[in-house]
Amino acid sequence: MKTRILVVEDDSSISELICMNLEAAGYEPLPFMDGLAAEQFLKQKDQDGKEAAGGEIPALALVDVMLPGKDGFELMEDFQKAQIPVIYLTAKDDVLSKVHGLKAGAEDYIVKPFEVLELLVRMEKVLKRTGRSRKLIQIRDVTIDLTEHSVTRGGERVALKPLEYELLVTLASSRNVAFSREELLNRIWGVDYVGETRTVDVHIGQLRKKLGFHQVIRTISKTGYRLED
Amino acid sequence: MKLWVKLALTTVLVLLAATLSTGAAMLYQTLLYNQEKTMESGHQQLASTAYALARELENGPLTGYSEATKNSYVNYTMKKFGASKYILIEDGEVLCNMTPFDLADSRDERWQQQEGSAVIQKSGEQYILIEGQKVPTSGGSSYALVLVQDISALYQDMKRQMVFGLWILADAAAIAMLLIFLMTRRILKPLRELQKAAMDISEGMLTRRARVRTKDEIGVVADAFNRMADKIESQVTELSQVSEQRRQMLGSLTHELKTPMTSIIGYSDTLLHVNVRKEQQQRALWHIKEECSRLERLSSKLMNLMGLYENDSVSMEEISMEELFAHVAQMEKYHLEQMGMRLDYRCSMGKIRMDRDLMESLLINLIDNGAKASKAGDEIFLEGQGNRITVRDKGCGIPEDEIGRVTEAFYMVDKARSRKAGGCGLGLALCVMIARLHGAELEIHSKVGEGTKVCVVFPEIREESIS
Repeated sequence: MKTRILVVEDDSSISELICMNLEAAGYEPLPFMDGLAAEQFLKQKDQDGKEAAGGEIPALALVDVMLPGKDGFELMEDFQKAQIPVIYLTAKDDVLSKVHGLKAGAEDYIVKPFEVLELLVRMEKVLKRTGRSRKLIQIRDVTIDLTEHSVTRGGERVALKPLEYELLVTLASSRNVAFSREELLNRIWGVDYVGETRTVDVHIGQLRKKLGFHQVIRTISKTGYRLED
Repeated sequence: MKLWVKLALTTVLVLLAATLSTGAAMLYQTLLYNQEKTMESGHQQLASTAYALARELENGPLTGYSEATKNSYVNYTMKKFGASKYILIEDGEVLCNMTPFDLADSRDERWQQQEGSAVIQKSGEQYILIEGQKVPTSGGSSYALVLVQDISALYQDMKRQMVFGLWILADAAAIAMLLIFLMTRRILKPLRELQKAAMDISEGMLTRRARVRTKDEIGVVADAFNRMADKIESQVTELSQVSEQRRQMLGSLTHELKTPMTSIIGYSDTLLHVNVRKEQQQRALWHIKEECSRLERLSSKLMNLMGLYENDSVSMEEISMEELFAHVAQMEKYHLEQMGMRLDYRCSMGKIRMDRDLMESLLINLIDNGAKASKAGDEIFLEGQGNRITVRDKGCGIPEDEIGRVTEAFYMVDKARSRKAGGCGLGLALCVMIARLHGAELEIHSKVGEGTKVCVVFPEIREESIS
C-alpha cells in the first residue's frame, strides 16, 4: 500500500504540482484546498477510528502556512492530535515564521520555491525519523525489504554490495525522479569522497545486471539516472 | 549674559543716573536756598544791629573818654546786641572783635558800603559766612559792622543728605535687582518649558507639546510652536503610514510573486527531472504558461499603480460622461458577453475634468470586479448621476468585516476564486488611487449574497461644468 501524504495548499497550481510529484515518487497524495477542509478531515478520522474512514492514516502532512479558513499554524494542534508529522511549505521565509513553525512542532520548514528532489528527500528524512518510512519497496518483480536490508527478485534473494543496496534504495525511494551523478555521490559515498562520477556509473551497471533493471534504471542525458516503474 | 542680568544692570544704571542727577540738583538747590536764607537773616540782623548801633554810637558818650572806657563801652554795647559774632570796625581799625575769627583785611572796601555785601569763605573744614555793612552814623568816625557766622552745618547737612540719598539709592537698586531677577525668572519660565518641549520633540517625542498658558508674547510663541508640532506630528504620522503601506505592499508583492514562481520552478523542475505521465506533462506546461501570464498581468497592473505616483503622466480634460460610458460599454461588451453577462448603463452627468485613460481604467476595473463576483446571466449596472458614478452587481458580495480591507493592495477576499478569475488583488487599490487623482472618493456598499455597489463620488461639481 502506498504511503498517504496530506497536502494542504490553497493555490491549485502548486497543489497539483506537489500531488503530481508525490504520485510519481510512489506516494498517495490527499489534497485539501483550505484549512477548514483539512481540519474536518482530521476530526472525522478521529471520530471514526483509525481504519474506518477509508484507507490508511496519512503518514505526513505538507502544509502551507497562509491558508483560507484556518492557517497552517492553527492547524498544528489538529495534526498533533491525529499524530501526523507536519512539514510546512510556505512562501514566508522570514526567520520568525520559521522559528514559530518549528517551535509549534513542525518537523521541517520548506520555503517556496522549492525543488522537487529537495522536497522528496526532506519528506523521506522526516518519515524515517518518525518511524513511518516504508518497510517494503516494490518495483516490478523486485522487492526491497528496508528492515531486513535484503533484496529479492521473483522471490529469490539477490546479493548486493552495501553501496549497491544504498544506491538502489536512494533511487527507489524517490522513483521517477532524476538524480545527478554528483548528488548520488554525495548521498551514498559521502561528501568527503574523492572519486570520479565513473564510480556511480559502475555501480549502476552492477544494479542493472543483477536485477535485470536495464529498462528500469534509465540514463537521463545531461542529468543522471532515474528509476522508473 | 543672561537676560535678567542685562535688565537688572540697565535698570540700576538708569536708577543711578536719575537719582544722582535729581538728588544732586535738589541738594544743591537746597544748599543755595539755605545759604540765601542764612545770608538774608544775617543781613537783616546786621542791618538792624547796625542801625541800633548807630543810634547808640551817635547818642553815646564816646567822645572824650579814654580808649579803655571807649572799648568797654563798645564791648558792652555789642554784647547788648547779642552775639559774639560781630566785629566792629572804626575807620578801618578793628574796634571790637567778639568772634573767634580774625578779620584778614579790616580796610576792605566791601564793608564800607551802605548796602553791605556778603561772602562765604572756606577755612579748613569750616564754611564761614562774612557779611559786612557801614554803620549808618551821621558824621564822626565811620564805623563798619561785620557779621561772621559759621555755616558749616549747612554743608554737613548736605553731605549727610547725600549719604542718606546714596543709601536709599543702593537699597532701591538692590530691591530693583531682586525684583527684576524674580520677574524675569517668572517671565522666562514658559521659555524654559518651550525649550524643553523643543528638545523632547527633537528627540522623537512627537506628541509632546509646550505647556504654556500665559497670555503674553511668549504664550503666542508657544501657541505657534504647538501648532508647528501638531503639523509635524501629523506629517510624520502620515509619512510613516505611507511608508508602512509601501512596506506592506512590497511584502505582499514578493509573496504574490513567490506563488507563481513556485509553480513555474516546480513544474519545469518536474518536467526536467521527473518521469510523469504524458498528460501530466501537458498539465505542467499549461500551468507554467498560466502562471507566466499571471505574472504578466501582475506586472502590468503594478506598472499602472507605479505610474500613478507620478502626477505628470495625468492629463486632465473636460470629457462628456455619456461618451465615456458608451466607450467603456463598447470595450466591455465582448468580454461580458463571453461570460453570459450584460452591462446596463445610464448616464445623466455632464462633463467632468478627468484623465480619460485613467477613468476608463477605473470603470473597467470596477465592472470586471462586478463580473468576477457575478454568475452567467447576471447584469451589471453602470450609472452616472449628479456627482457620483455607481457600478452595481448582484454577485456574491463582500463580507462586512472585509469591506474596509478590499482596497488594500493584494488583498483578496476569496483568493482561490479571485485567482481563477485572473485577479491579483490590485484592481481596487488602483481604483482608489485614480479616484484620488480626480479628487474623488470610493464608497463601497456590499451585502453577502445580494451584491456590491461601488460609488465614485466626485466633489460637488461647479455650475459651469454642468452643460
